[in-house]
Amino acid sequence: MSNKITANSRNVYLVGNPNSGKTSLFNAITGERHRVGNWPGVTVQKIEGITETANGRLIVNDLPGTYSLTPATPEEEIVLKTLDEAATGIIINVVDIANFERNLFLTTQLVELGVNPVVSLNCFDSFTRAGGSIDLQKFSAFTGTTPFPTVARRGEGVSSMIEHLSRPESIAVECCNNMLVLPDLWKKAAEDVLACQGLKWASATPVQRYNALRELISLKPLESDIKIQEIRRQLAAQLSQGREKPVKVIDLACELASDRYRRIEKLIAACATIPGKSIPPWQEKLDTVLTHRFLGLPIFALMMAWVFWTTFSIGEIPMGWMESLVEMAGDFVKANMQEGLLQELLADGIISGVGGVLVFIPNILILFFWIAILEDSGYMSRAAFIMDRMMNSIGLHGRAFIPMIMGLGCNVPAVLATRIIDNRFQRLLTMLLIPLVTCAARLPVLVLLCGTFFPENPSTWMFSLFFVNLLVLIFLGHMTSFLFKSVENSPFLLEMPPYRLPTAASVWHMLYEKAMHFVEKAGTVIMAGAIVIWVLSVFPREVPLSFDYEAELAALKSQTVTAETTEQIAALTHKRDIEQMEGRYMARIGKLMHPVMAPLGFSWRETVSLIPGFLAKESVVSTLTVLYLPYDEDLGKGMSKTGMNKLSAFVFMLFTLLYIPCIATLGVVWRESGSTKFTALSLVVYFVIAYLVSFAALKIGEALQASNGTAAEAVTIILAGIFAGWYLLRTLLNTFVGRQCNSCAGCSSCPSKSSDCQG
Amino acid sequence: MVRTTYSLADLPEGSTGTIRDIDALSPTARRLLDMGFVPGTPIKAIKRAPMGDPTTYEIRGYLVGLRRTESALIDVEIKPDVK
Repeated sequence: MSNKITANSRNVYLVGNPNSGKTSLFNAITGERHRVGNWPGVTVQKIEGITETANGRLIVNDLPGTYSLTPATPEEEIVLKTLDEAATGIIINVVDIANFERNLFLTTQLVELGVNPVVSLNCFDSFTRAGGSIDLQKFSAFTGTTPFPTVARRGEGVSSMIEHLSRPESIAVECCNNMLVLPDLWKKAAEDVLACQGLKWASATPVQRYNALRELISLKPLESDIKIQEIRRQLAAQLSQGREKPVKVIDLACELASDRYRRIEKLIAACATIPGKSIPPWQEKLDTVLTHRFLGLPIFALMMAWVFWTTFSIGEIPMGWMESLVEMAGDFVKANMQEGLLQELLADGIISGVGGVLVFIPNILILFFWIAILEDSGYMSRAAFIMDRMMNSIGLHGRAFIPMIMGLGCNVPAVLATRIIDNRFQRLLTMLLIPLVTCAARLPVLVLLCGTFFPENPSTWMFSLFFVNLLVLIFLGHMTSFLFKSVENSPFLLEMPPYRLPTAASVWHMLYEKAMHFVEKAGTVIMAGAIVIWVLSVFPREVPLSFDYEAELAALKSQTVTAETTEQIAALTHKRDIEQMEGRYMARIGKLMHPVMAPLGFSWRETVSLIPGFLAKESVVSTLTVLYLPYDEDLGKGMSKTGMNKLSAFVFMLFTLLYIPCIATLGVVWRESGSTKFTALSLVVYFVIAYLVSFAALKIGEALQASNGTAAEAVTIILAGIFAGWYLLRTLLNTFVGRQCNSCAGCSSCPSKSSDCQG
Repeated sequence: MVRTTYSLADLPEGSTGTIRDIDALSPTARRLLDMGFVPGTPIKAIKRAPMGDPTTYEIRGYLVGLRRTESALIDVEIKPDVK
């Protein structure tokens, strides 16, 4: 990677289990000087921080959290890929000592491969408080590592660790009795594998050694070399000696893992006293209440309601201030600058663009304040635990519930909140689905349009729109998780960390990082998009007009003012405005696109209005109003005069609801996913879905209207309706009552194999 | 005869078993092994989620939630004296 090790700069790599306090330690070491980028080749976030010491600079890399070097997700693969490079620098292995055995597994793997990490024995306070103790000297001697007790959340023990890291000579540890190294049998077998590749254990890199071990325990033995198969057989035979049950080749993985845990147990017995009961009784009591069969859901619902209300209702107050501030800035520019393109660009393009970004900040800050608290306290995992069954029914992780529900307020913070999902595939799937959640900004559009077209019963129609929307959401979730089932095979493991009091420092870090990140990354995209839309809507400046309006207007204005002339002036101005609008690039693009949209029964005016809708959905209505002015003051009447009927209006609303997320959402998705391909693909998916659904709705509606007629059509419609209803009901039933899991193909492969398997 | 071997997915809430076997052919099982689900380890089913899935288990001093698809890969043994 880019950082070369110079005399006074060294690379430090943090590895450790998820929830081991790795990120807290990283923050404690580096403060706020972070550089966020991507790991080469994959779109996993790479976080780098720098700290200065008396002896030079430390460049600290925060590697993704993992339980084991054997990767289960693209994130975890990074750890293995970076291992060789990291071995040339310093590796800090963060070990949650309150959860000693499992955390030492990774340490064992590192030591086996000849890497001697600096071990941060984190959460040391709760360990000693519970009555645990450890002999650090023995630990160091038995593992060949340098241990440091730390409490990363409060920054305790970090300074002496930094001091140690910066001293160049103190890294190597003399070790005579390492209890974690590979047993001879295994080492011999790994050496044999390396020999097949012309390598030697002593000179091989850690990754080469890892690969040799992996060959031994590989899942697909038939694919590997015949020589390696022989080595595996021998190893299994040797391990079988003196046992009742012979070890099968396929069980070697299990043997190795068991052996590692045996070594870990021996090590702990030799140097530490583990508190007898690691989970305090009050935590168990709290768990009983918070995940209670009947109380768990209502408590969670209350918390969500609180988070939602504060985020979007309290958030509205500072949002109002921001909006008026932006407005004031715009007015100021308009008042103090010469009229012209530059003034317009500044006031309508840039300032409103900045405003469009800043307006999200209060929501994001409040939402992430609560997320930081929920996450830090350990409740987030419990919430995921409660909601998992329901979210799993549309292929999502339990943690996806919070982002999805926040989507009802605004999609932008919702997409940011997907950060709480650690699995990348799950995160992308949630990001794909969030824009289909009807956000608060889409409501006024629906209310207005439904009120316009269906004045007698707007709520019924709005409800049916929501219903279709929900169907699409569930269907897309099902489809994607079905299609990508083979790709996505990382296990579902939901660790329940102990309850803790959140610290101000970690909440502050979360808020600071979120806000900065949003402004820096997504903000620029959103602003650029806003300016592009603005340019499209005001250029070309001069539109050839069919009629010299200015002269006529001037003539009218010079006459004496009567009711008649005022009316004429107003009418002429309208006409001129519309002609100008039609001449702008935006309308031209709309007209160009129109042939594609025509099958849905739209006129070109609807197509044109969809383009500003990209900036903000409410612009659809205002654009339509302007475009229909020549026909009627009232939008609904104007539309019906030009051939739009209730059906095409309904189809149009459906399309507006589904077709594309607003530019702010899109910008955030782009930045958060880190993938242009994903963003572009999701746009195509939304558009195609919107098109197909609208088209189907149009056809069904047409059939309904035309017929009173042919039985076949009526039957088709009724069947479609019943099918949709059944689909929804089945999903809901499965969620709340059914014990049938979605993950098995049928009864024969159903893991429970019990009588209640319904296929 | 009293049944002593269960799939972990069927281990009743509140009871403790000992891991006997784990499906060696599944990649998921590999990860579970790395997390300490090795044969001979005691494991306790703590609680099922309100909707019946997942279930939290206590193993090696920590709590972890597994869905049925994962827990079904593991066989546990309940010894009468452990219970």
